[in-house]
Amino acid sequence: MLESLLISLQLAIVTTAILLVLAFPLAYVLTFKTFKGRTAVEVIVALPLVLPPTVLGYFVLVMIAPDTSLGRAWQAVFDTSLAFSFSGMVIASVLYSLPFAVQPMQQSLRAIPSSWLEMANTQGLSLRQTLKHIILPAAKGGVLVAAALSFAHTMGEFGVVLMVGGSIPGETKVASIALFEFVEMQQQSEAWLLALILLAVSFVMLSVVYTLNRHGFNMGTKS
Amino acid sequence: MKHHIQITSKVGLLDLDVQADFSDEIILISGENGAGKTTLLRCLAGLQQAQGQLLFNDDVWLDSCTSFVLPSKKRKVGCLWPDTALLPWLSVEKNITLGIEQVDKTWLKDLAEKMEVLPLMQRTSHMLSTGEGQRVALARAICRKPTLLLLDEPFSAQAPTLRQRLRASLKLMQIELEIPILMVSHDVEDAETLANQHWHMREGKLIKGVAAKQIKRGEG
Repeated sequence: MLESLLISLQLAIVTTAILLVLAFPLAYVLTFKTFKGRTAVEVIVALPLVLPPTVLGYFVLVMIAPDTSLGRAWQAVFDTSLAFSFSGMVIASVLYSLPFAVQPMQQSLRAIPSSWLEMANTQGLSLRQTLKHIILPAAKGGVLVAAALSFAHTMGEFGVVLMVGGSIPGETKVASIALFEFVEMQQQSEAWLLALILLAVSFVMLSVVYTLNRHGFNMGTKS
Repeated sequence: MKHHIQITSKVGLLDLDVQADFSDEIILISGENGAGKTTLLRCLAGLQQAQGQLLFNDDVWLDSCTSFVLPSKKRKVGCLWPDTALLPWLSVEKNITLGIEQVDKTWLKDLAEKMEVLPLMQRTSHMLSTGEGQRVALARAICRKPTLLLLDEPFSAQAPTLRQRLRASLKLMQIELEIPILMVSHDVEDAETLANQHWHMREGKLIKGVAAKQIKRGEG
């Protein structure tokens, strides 16, 4: 049980870290830039919200299978298969939790007053200075919410990680799959304990989200 | 130094048509609501989407025929708008020096004294009153030593006695920096005691030489 919890925790931390790096530029571009196909990108980012997790997992599995170019490249570089591995689960988790990271960030970026960005322009601030002094401080609430939601969402993943990772003990058997197997094997007390731990993690992470929301996405304005 | 602006531009429903020569002096712009005063300043600052042409001295700042727009950050204008846009997580000093790589401390102290914000420098800007915030934003607009200063109702939130002192300080700053200042104001005192030139705007067009008393009568 502890082993599967640690794998879930590790997956949630790695996924959240990758998402923070990937999602912020994506949210920035979707909020401030106008380009052809923006709606299509927004729809693709939001798809995991409505897509059955097994469908997304299936597509990822097909994409990273050993006979695909991605699968072959991975095999050549790391000498191991991407399918049914921890790394494969990370790819699937990142895609699955992408909207949970991008959307709170977009919300906080949209809430930045246009007068602040106009001031940045007339004061001659570079993009780096604008990010450092205005956009990041103003959006930090949204970034923290994104991190909390991505972490909680990844901790609770089932369908996607089962499709992509299988259930290899000590490698890809995460807590939610372990819980399913405890129930299947009638190990009620272990199932109860694991379920309560996952419930507590979700409760704490959502409490963080609601606390941040109550203080406003633009936390800087409250400091 | 002599300056020239030429704007023939369509901004929304307004046809902006302004040609004017001026030197390093304070120009007061008046006009009724919707006459195009703020739009003129926003066009000069590069914050207003417009179709047409804008020349400042010999430089093209906007030319829709060639789809050229000089970005705001390259125009080196200082701006003060009714929304002061101070960043609430930064101190007053950091707000004033925002974007300036190397701050001249002597210049900053002199500016802060003249704008009467020196005792506020270490406060965070969300602790300021509206009038204090306006003075901080005015100091920020001047601090990077712009080549053109655009002020929209710069003293509107100030008490009458403070206004008088700030007018004198602004005049000193203008002389020291040797820059033109375009200032939208409905305050007759600004026209009588501060402005070297007075432009009156009506439906996007410029009418020069309106006397201060006409502002007083509500024609400005």
